[in-house]
Amino acid sequence: MFGPVVIISAATMAGLGLLFAGLLGFAHTKFKIEEDAKVTEIEEVLPGLDCGACGYPGCNQLAKSVSKGEAAPDSCVPGGEEVAEKVAEIMGMEVSSEPGKVKLAVVHCGADNEEKKRVGHYEGVESCRTAELTTGGNIKCEYGCLGYGDCARACPFDAIEMVNGLPRIDPDACTACGSCVEVCPRNIISIEEINLAGNFVKVACNSRDEGSAVRDKCDVGCIACGLCEKMGPEEVFSVEDNLSRMDYSSYGEDDDFDMAIEKCPTGCIVELSSPEETS
Amino acid sequence: MEYFFIFVAIVLTQNFVLHYFLGICPFLGVSDEMEGAFGMGMATTFVMTLTAIITWNINTFILKAFNVEFLEYVSFILVIASLVQLVEMFLKKYLPELYETLGIYLPLITTNCAVLGLALFMVLREYNFLESAIFGFGAGVGFTLALVIMAGIRGELHEEDIPRPFRGTGITLLVAGLLALAFMGFSGLVPT
Repeated sequence: MFGPVVIISAATMAGLGLLFAGLLGFAHTKFKIEEDAKVTEIEEVLPGLDCGACGYPGCNQLAKSVSKGEAAPDSCVPGGEEVAEKVAEIMGMEVSSEPGKVKLAVVHCGADNEEKKRVGHYEGVESCRTAELTTGGNIKCEYGCLGYGDCARACPFDAIEMVNGLPRIDPDACTACGSCVEVCPRNIISIEEINLAGNFVKVACNSRDEGSAVRDKCDVGCIACGLCEKMGPEEVFSVEDNLSRMDYSSYGEDDDFDMAIEKCPTGCIVELSSPEETS
Repeated sequence: MEYFFIFVAIVLTQNFVLHYFLGICPFLGVSDEMEGAFGMGMATTFVMTLTAIITWNINTFILKAFNVEFLEYVSFILVIASLVQLVEMFLKKYLPELYETLGIYLPLITTNCAVLGLALFMVLREYNFLESAIFGFGAGVGFTLALVIMAGIRGELHEEDIPRPFRGTGITLLVAGLLALAFMGFSGLVPT
């Protein structure tokens, strides 16, 4: 039934296979490495998202650094306190966490679909990066949100929802991993540390154009008039490069933003709901 | 002299990457940093040299002797896969940092067409044992050379203000093309 060629072929491959299998088996015992048990333990506790928010390429590398003592146990951003505690337990350490502060992604544009001033009709791929790269965007403002929702698609936690052409961030789901910051071609989103005790306010504009130019391009843009510097809490707002910025590290729980919000002529200082209120 | 010509030919004039377009995936994938590129070159050189030596023996003493030359692909791939596995074990144990840098490209040496191409060219050109060994080693050196030059250029490119549409893959492929063009200048170095 089987010719000699079939038998020889089978025997040849079987022989070679056995030879190399034996060789590799030997090499495996010779080159065996003992991984630190802590690394696998820590890796199991970590979320395994490989989001990179900790500064390492993936969870595995973070686990290794933590086990060596190079990284702090609370380095995992999406894991939050829960993971930090577990990791610290494995390492036999205490977590030192600052209560009352939470990191969140903040969107610095306030132009929704009604406010966006279009300069053309874009019919390409529904992606901000594509639109920006091919046509430079079809809205008048070169700094504003294009509204195709790359950030929402990039978010691993479904914390971003596109509402009327603007990303809305769910403060409870957001872990400040920074995926959206990276993906936004116009760098509209930033990660800020919010003081939970105080009010949560943002400057909803990213335009570094001069006041007159901003007025032409958008009705809700920052014209760098500087009223917020005077009306807002001391040393919280500062106008730089024709744009008002808010210093999130220097506001306290007693700071009152009502005057700044009320007096801003274009209304680009906006109050947001903080995580606790929405939960 | 003939051995020397085989070596020069495979390193410069008939470089696997820049002349035959074999092994492009690691050439583009790990040429981002010099360290990784050199490590990849060394790993591939090791695999290529041993592949040439072992496959020559298998081809001559087993496949030809038993008249089963049609098994060359499957047996050569077996050799290559085993060698890559061996290199991976070795690197994981002794050079873990390089292992991390190479990442997925290390197991992908298995299907690096330059390695299988080398074994098949060797059979096609009917090299003797020494010629095969030199051919294999030279192929590795040529591969490393291409990778290191590419990594050097790309290292410089990191500092440059590249026009936006060219950034990333675009400029890499353009550089690869120009490099291939430059290597054409070597043709004629080896008498055919």
